[in-house]
Amino acid sequence: MAQEHNLSDYRARLLHDLQVGGRRSAGGASDPVQVFINDRRVGLLNRGGTETRFQLISLAHIDSVHLRSEDGVMLGGLSAPECGYRSCRIPLSGDMIELRVQNNPQGGSVNAIFIPAHGLWHRAWQTLTGMVPAIVRRPPSAIIPGMRAVAFTQMLLAVAVIGLASDRMTGWLTSEHAAPPVTPKEAPWAAPLAEVTKLEQQLSDLTRMQVKVMETIQTQQQGMTQIQRTMTKLSSTQETVVSSVLTVKQEMEQRRKGSGRDMDRVKRLLMTKAQTEQEQLEAEIHSLTVANDRLSKEMENLEQNNLDLKKKLKSAGLDVSISTVSDPEKSMVARQAEVNQPTPSPQAVEARPGLARPSPTTFLVSDDFD
Amino acid sequence: MILTGMQPILTRDPVMPESETPLGRLEEVVSTPEEFDRVVSQALPILLDRATGYTKQFLRETGQWNDDIAHEKFVLRWGAEYLERFLVCGPSEIPCRPLFLLDSLVAKQHSRPEPFCYHPDLFTPLGRFLDGLMARAAISRDALIALYHHCYGLGPREIIAATGLNGSESQRIYKNLSRWRDSGWQRTMDEAGISEVELKDLLGQQQRSRQRLDSEAERIIRFAQAHYRKSEPDHYPCLSRSQWEEMFSQGYGCDYRIWHLALCVNCMQTAWGLGTNGSMTVEKPEVKLHVQP
Repeated sequence: MAQEHNLSDYRARLLHDLQVGGRRSAGGASDPVQVFINDRRVGLLNRGGTETRFQLISLAHIDSVHLRSEDGVMLGGLSAPECGYRSCRIPLSGDMIELRVQNNPQGGSVNAIFIPAHGLWHRAWQTLTGMVPAIVRRPPSAIIPGMRAVAFTQMLLAVAVIGLASDRMTGWLTSEHAAPPVTPKEAPWAAPLAEVTKLEQQLSDLTRMQVKVMETIQTQQQGMTQIQRTMTKLSSTQETVVSSVLTVKQEMEQRRKGSGRDMDRVKRLLMTKAQTEQEQLEAEIHSLTVANDRLSKEMENLEQNNLDLKKKLKSAGLDVSISTVSDPEKSMVARQAEVNQPTPSPQAVEARPGLARPSPTTFLVSDDFD
Repeated sequence: MILTGMQPILTRDPVMPESETPLGRLEEVVSTPEEFDRVVSQALPILLDRATGYTKQFLRETGQWNDDIAHEKFVLRWGAEYLERFLVCGPSEIPCRPLFLLDSLVAKQHSRPEPFCYHPDLFTPLGRFLDGLMARAAISRDALIALYHHCYGLGPREIIAATGLNGSESQRIYKNLSRWRDSGWQRTMDEAGISEVELKDLLGQQQRSRQRLDSEAERIIRFAQAHYRKSEPDHYPCLSRSQWEEMFSQGYGCDYRIWHLALCVNCMQTAWGLGTNGSMTVEKPEVKLHVQP
């Protein structure tokens, strides 16, 4: 029973701590914040009166980022996406911690920025000014007087209203008191002269203050008007600049297109020239090929003729040797035939081994004309 | 067998439509952080019981469960740890179904090789005390500095000398110990579920047999430190005497010294005296348990 009670008390305490959350930290406002990545402590984010940063790049994938106080209380955190970017803002006793985590295939990174309370307004102003293009951004100090003027004007208006109200009330009081004409004898309750004088003095002071307030309001209104004129001028300047930028962009676009056209024309010319040269070359190659073919054919014909002649010469040589042994007339005929035969080429004669070149002198010596 | 609070999960108002019960809303999609916070804050007991139930199931399936109050408190403690992380990270996961997001978070933790430090000896009063201290030291600088006192009986000046701190770092030691004394120690005891009776029992053991308690404490401390040292970055390994000497003499690695020496008995003895250039008159530190801050 005691143990069950103990257990239920323990459970209730844990639930209470979960409900209270980061508020149960006993850490001070200037104590650093511990940064945990994947349940591992990786560093500290300092806190104080100024904006501070903590950055870390990890080669490993980041699963979770937790922030804890120095006494271990969880202050905030977020779970990182598989791939991409995620951020959150963690309020911390009026201050703020901006937490950003990013994962990519190469690893991850964590950025933690501590923003003190008064810095929030400064950042809000920076965000607003960030929406204005940089070319027309004016330093905040130029426009803050306008906001201050508005606040001051409102304050003066409130004072003026109070002054007028008090003036009115005083007027009512004095008019009530002054309404019934009474003599000092009949109105022993009338204020003494000194007090009346004092009241008159106060009234005149209030009137003077009222006048001053009105003058100040007018001055502030003039200032606001000037600021509005300046803003108008700035916005018109901004529009002019934007239109100029557009004009410049258009001109650049046109020039780009024009230069593109020129480039195309030159390209076409070069291509045409190259094609012409290519065709010429092809024609020359073709003609050379044709000539080559013709020459080859002539070569073949010549070789064929050469072979035929060789055959004829061979057969003519045999007939001559036969006719020399048996018949002089035949030898005469052979000689005649041989004489009529074209001279065999030296190559053909030399090609016949063992056969001496028929010499006219030898043939004539062996003739029977003797 | 002690019943935990599993019944609220099963109990539903028969009149109320399911989509309007806390459990029903947890199963529906939430689209904004504000909606998430609203839905979840109304169902914290249900979520705690769910996370606790999963942790108990994990211990049963891994053969590490015992039906005793220590184990019941153990699963409650870790259920609360998981739920705390869920409360912090859940708004960044929208749109989501909160109930199943919690399930996925717990399952992911239990899928790791060592989701928590478990050993049978950590379920004794001494073990739970030391486990609570070490677990706290892994997430709290105050508890980390206090380990030098609870494990070795060192005061702030001795801690500064042992770790070789100076300047603003040494001032922080005083602040850490002061805050630990004021609120940190008691909060740790409460979150670890250590009752006053158990603390008195420990103090009684210390008075009766201090040496035996110290040697038992050293054995458990070494085991627990090995697990919780994994909360340090990877570049915080154990070093040799010469490497520690160089770090102390060059003056770098301030965090390294503070975090590692508190969670490693061997390195604490190895690097002893380097912070004061060997001029410390106190002998090398041995584990001497101090229960009170």
